[in-house]
Amino acid sequence: MIARGLRRRRALEPSPLVQYAVLLGLCALLALVLMPWVWALLSSFKPRSEIMSTGFLPEVWQIGNYVELFTTTLYGRWLMNSAIVSVSAACVGMVVCGMAGYAFAKFRFAGKTALFWIVIASVSIPPFTTVIPLFGWMAKLGLLNTYLVLVLPFASSAFGLFMMRQYISTLPDELIEAARIDGCGELRLLLTIILPLARPALGTVGILIFISSWNSFIWPLVFMRSDEMFTLPVGIAGLNSEQMAEYGLIMAAAITSCIPMLVVFFLMQKQIIAGLTRGAVKA
Amino acid sequence: MAEPRRRRAGGLSHRFRRAAAPYLLIAPFFLLFGAFWAGPIVASFLYSFTEWRGITPPEPIGLRNYERLIGDERFFIALGNTLWMAGAYVACANLASLSLALVLDAGWVRLRHVFRTAFFLPMTISMVVSAVIFQLIYAGDIGLIAKLLAVVGIEGPAWLRDPATAPLAIVAMRVWRTMGYYAIIYLAGLQAVSADLKEAARLDGASEWQVIRHVTLPALKPVALFCVVLTSISALEMFDEPMILTQGGPGDATLTAVMFVYQQGFQFLELGYAAAASYVLTLVIVMISIAQKLWLGEKER
Repeated sequence: MIARGLRRRRALEPSPLVQYAVLLGLCALLALVLMPWVWALLSSFKPRSEIMSTGFLPEVWQIGNYVELFTTTLYGRWLMNSAIVSVSAACVGMVVCGMAGYAFAKFRFAGKTALFWIVIASVSIPPFTTVIPLFGWMAKLGLLNTYLVLVLPFASSAFGLFMMRQYISTLPDELIEAARIDGCGELRLLLTIILPLARPALGTVGILIFISSWNSFIWPLVFMRSDEMFTLPVGIAGLNSEQMAEYGLIMAAAITSCIPMLVVFFLMQKQIIAGLTRGAVKA
Repeated sequence: MAEPRRRRAGGLSHRFRRAAAPYLLIAPFFLLFGAFWAGPIVASFLYSFTEWRGITPPEPIGLRNYERLIGDERFFIALGNTLWMAGAYVACANLASLSLALVLDAGWVRLRHVFRTAFFLPMTISMVVSAVIFQLIYAGDIGLIAKLLAVVGIEGPAWLRDPATAPLAIVAMRVWRTMGYYAIIYLAGLQAVSADLKEAARLDGASEWQVIRHVTLPALKPVALFCVVLTSISALEMFDEPMILTQGGPGDATLTAVMFVYQQGFQFLELGYAAAASYVLTLVIVMISIAQKLWLGEKER
């Protein structure tokens, strides 16, 4: 019996040949996945004439496209807009999702289940269903072309609420009861006990809102009406749609706009991956 | 705002505070949610029964927008494109990410964590940026694929200019971007499958494939449901890639439903008509989600 178990266990590990074949396959797939970036990076160092030629590597590595990007286009401004909007959305979002998540996790109140499901159901609504009336309203209120319309919608994130509720409901009830018996007010309870304990989830929610806001295309496309107010995706799409598109310049823009996200990703890999999978496996 | 210490619970004001607390806590979230999501969703439904051209106030016209949609050939082209591109994407993305997850789940694979992270990377950049990059992959003469094919002496098609290949090119780009993300979700699901159960099946003489087929995959159903629903919703709402790569062309080969809504609403300023189209799409999405839940969901309950 034991011998049989051992044999099975060894059978689980395929021969070294198969192992290397799998590793090789994964490496090939990885090369395929990374190739578009490598190509964009190479192209960003090429002048126009070289992009048209048949070679793969730039003959002379030149940074002209990057210089041009920051001097002749509004790229710096778009970068700043994107940063302002995404960071604000993440901050506001952490506060409102944290508060609401606490209420849904630890309080009983009339309408709780209905409200929660309304929020979750809103995820399946296609874009533009909300944007169409909002466009009219914001035009009337004179809020087109302001940061506000790009910050507030992303802050009330259904995913953020869901995640905060999941996390806070795992905190022990006794802790909250004990604080209340000690005379701790509701606001102080939230600020000094709940939110500090929920820091990991808050971090995840902040990052996810940051990413979705940073990458959003439809909202700024519709609500931002002048070049100076564009965010990166709209600005880059604009460069791209010009007659005689300057591919080298566009690739420089694409590469530069990836860098902040890659930095965020490598710094906070754990939270991001945990956050993205938590909802899926528990739901 | 520190409250004075109050050791005696049960006072009237105290009880009131306790009852009001949850509503105060959810108030900021729901103010924003109401203003930017729930309110507009309801308003959009009402506007779909009006003629609204942006500048003038909306005028009620009953069901005429929906009647017009039924007769609008382009809307059905857009809906058809959306459905088959979404179908192709959902199948490819889920098969690819599930296979990848099964490989990465095997304990003997070296560098699994490096691979897991690396495959996720495309997801961190925006659709717009990936579309812009892929333009220079697909382009007819200066694209990477064309250049690689030229090395071996083949003249490939202009991928984005041919109605037969353009939708596939867009689907392939989307699979590239999201495969690693869904692989991570599947991987999390695989790691939750009981190791004892698999070991027991192996001791009973099941082959490795049989273990996957009869133990692992059934246990993975809830995660698969989540991924299938999520990939479907996101693909049925496809907009950024065709907008950047093809502007819906060539002909209307990559015109998606959301692009149709955008064109009607923000290029032709037919906001009422666009709202009607977006509601038909909503209905399609909800029905597909329900169908998937019935197909993959738990039979019990």
